[in-house]
Amino acid sequence: MIILLLLIPLSLMLLVAAIWAFAWAVRSGQFDDLDTPPLDILADDPHESRIAPRHEP
Amino acid sequence: MSVAAPSDRCYHCGDALTTPAPPLTLDGEIRSFCCSGCAAAADWIRDAQLGDYYRLRSQQGGRVDLSASDLSAWDRDEVQQGHARDVPGGREITVVTDGMRCAACAWLIDRALRQEPGILEVSANAITGRIRLLWDPALTPLSRPLQRLAALGYRPGLARGEALERARSAERRRWLLRLGLAGLASLQAMMFAEALYLDVRGQMPLPTRDFLRWITFLIATPVVFYAGWPFLEGTWREWRGRRLGMDTLVASGMLLAWGGSVIETLRGGPQVWYDAAVMFVFLLLLARLFEQRARAVASAQVDLLAQACPALATRERPDGSSETVPLALLAVGDIARVAAGDALPADGHLLDAPASFSEALLTGESRPVTRQPGTPVYAGTLCIDQPVRLRVSGIGPATRLSTLTRLVEQAQAHRPRLARLADQVASRFVLALLFTAVLVYARWHFTAPERAFEVLLSVVVISCPCALSLSVPAALAAAHGHLARIGVLATRPDALESLAHASDLVFDKTGTLSTGQMEIASISTRVGSSREEALSLATALERDSRHPIASAFANQPATRTATGVQEHPGQGIAGDIDGRCLRLGTAPFAAGRRDDGALWLGDGHQPLARFQLRETARNDSRLVLTELAASGLQLHLYSGDAEATVAAFASRFGLADAAGRLSPEDKLDRVRALQAQGRIVAMVGDGLNDAPVLAGADVSFVMADGAPLAQQAADFVLTQASLQRVPDAVALARRTQRVIQQNLAWAVGYNLLALPLAATGHVTPWIAALAMVVSSLTVTLNALRLTRAGTP
Repeated sequence: MIILLLLIPLSLMLLVAAIWAFAWAVRSGQFDDLDTPPLDILADDPHESRIAPRHEP
Repeated sequence: MSVAAPSDRCYHCGDALTTPAPPLTLDGEIRSFCCSGCAAAADWIRDAQLGDYYRLRSQQGGRVDLSASDLSAWDRDEVQQGHARDVPGGREITVVTDGMRCAACAWLIDRALRQEPGILEVSANAITGRIRLLWDPALTPLSRPLQRLAALGYRPGLARGEALERARSAERRRWLLRLGLAGLASLQAMMFAEALYLDVRGQMPLPTRDFLRWITFLIATPVVFYAGWPFLEGTWREWRGRRLGMDTLVASGMLLAWGGSVIETLRGGPQVWYDAAVMFVFLLLLARLFEQRARAVASAQVDLLAQACPALATRERPDGSSETVPLALLAVGDIARVAAGDALPADGHLLDAPASFSEALLTGESRPVTRQPGTPVYAGTLCIDQPVRLRVSGIGPATRLSTLTRLVEQAQAHRPRLARLADQVASRFVLALLFTAVLVYARWHFTAPERAFEVLLSVVVISCPCALSLSVPAALAAAHGHLARIGVLATRPDALESLAHASDLVFDKTGTLSTGQMEIASISTRVGSSREEALSLATALERDSRHPIASAFANQPATRTATGVQEHPGQGIAGDIDGRCLRLGTAPFAAGRRDDGALWLGDGHQPLARFQLRETARNDSRLVLTELAASGLQLHLYSGDAEATVAAFASRFGLADAAGRLSPEDKLDRVRALQAQGRIVAMVGDGLNDAPVLAGADVSFVMADGAPLAQQAADFVLTQASLQRVPDAVALARRTQRVIQQNLAWAVGYNLLALPLAATGHVTPWIAALAMVVSSLTVTLNALRLTRAGTP
């Protein structure tokens, strides 16, 4: 069971890393708006897609 | 996802095309627009290559109103003060807009503002209607990006202060952090607990077991004291108020499971419950977060309705020219100018000529009143038909408007506090638990002292009131979610329970039962002239009038035209039709008779016809009133309108208790009188004059188009101008109350069953764990029934 002495600290480190990552995400505002960002992937990238119909009559 | 407007409607906002603007070609198709504002917005969106907006949106945009778009006031330091702050590289401000309908709007605003020069960062949130803007004052004045915003149909307004906004988002982030920590840590704690549980035959070496226990202790402690802090804080507050409530119960459950485990770890006892403690904290935080999120969205939307424009006034300089100044700079003795259709900035005395004002905001009387020069007029009243000048006599807190605001605050402070069912059960439960624990310990101490402490621990842990504490927040979270979906925004946590107990419902007539429009109740004509003739003449006179009375004639066909139409404030309207000079208005003005409250048509001496007007009832009023009466509520009608109008309404809808011409104070007194008889009063209103009574009633509703102050005083805001939501909300509140009762009964019953087993020393660890999970799951699932659609 000596392996526990390695595995358990390892799991604790992972836990600390996960909590740190979550705290970073919350603090940097990743969870502030959960409604608008999902739309971004639906929009075409304006630079390479359609040419704007600006010059049409 | 995308919403295509039918071709007879505006492509941008979906309004009917009455006076259409020239059509545009978008994406190869010809689109029509209702006005030049919408067309310009669509044109700009196309040129900025943001046409995806039209494909992404799930709701029509707002109509673009170009008329009210002078935003230069936003550049003033006095306006920005308290709303904007300096950040590295520029300034930051949060503005709100009521035009955002769906996430695509936020997407559009994001993209559109980023193209403006001098804009460093934008983030728009469609749910809360807030736009955070970071700009470089050296490159652009604030009004420029805001002008772009207004040109797209999103009228900007001031949020309620920058500090408050930041506090709100900091609070939300703290809750999320707590929840995340509790979730991640409880997963980990469960892993170690699993290892301990699986050791059913006690084969694990003691050092390994203790090592695992200490590790779990390490993980559980921050969860209890950081994530569980809101409950500990709440307990402290309850103790200072000398009562035992829900937070005490939660904190005691949490601390008992944690403290018991620590003691068992120290003495090497047979069982620890760290996993139960952290799971409990996690589940409770989750339920509270959902409930708070529903309410936070609701109150953010209420703030939107209350959005304020920078408050400015027009002051006359001594030389007769005028200047625009912030409201705060207006002083007593100044002369203020007010344009027709604007609200007065301060209390004062009218100068120059008589004029008519709508004092609906203050008195609830929907008909305009005429004021003579020299008489006092009040801040907040609307100047109806002509520009006026007034000498300022009261500003800021000295105005009649501020008195009303203070009345609201007082009424809120004196609102009777209803005993909360959950708090009652909780306090009894805590007492009973303490009592039982002492009794059990004493009993075992005399018979088998070596097991006494172990049994005591299992008693307090098995009665750990998880299910009991979860039963209320779970039900409230589900109910608030349902309310938001049916278009009722609930802003206060205990409003649902008050509503479930309400015995009386008080209506304010203006705006709640009626639409504010007028209709013709009856026409009587002089012998020899027809009703159609009279109607056609009156319609021609009123066609271009902005006076509320004109709405009665708005849907009549226009068969003639009047020339030289002139409004006489407070008296009526005059004009020439087919060479005849005709007057429409009060009896002395139009027909040379004594005033009887009706509308007369005549030539100034002889009457032609007499119109009796009344306010149009909302379509659903009668249905809703019947439904409410059937659900056992006593209905009342307390209004600020004239006695006769109120009596007519009461008889139309069969309301027994109706009173008119009541001041805000009178209404509050009447509601207090009902409350003194032990009735629990719900109130539906919309005007500012209702605000004090809305705050003083046990629970209150306000319409979305009502006055901002009224909305802040109310518990529920109806997002649609439909009364139907009121009976729905009452039914849902009652159903929620039933679910809470069932949950509490179940939780208490579970404890009654488990306690004797624990007290007699028959509880094995797996029974305790299973019982806890099953009872918590049961109350949660029962609460979820409230989210089901169908019968509310």
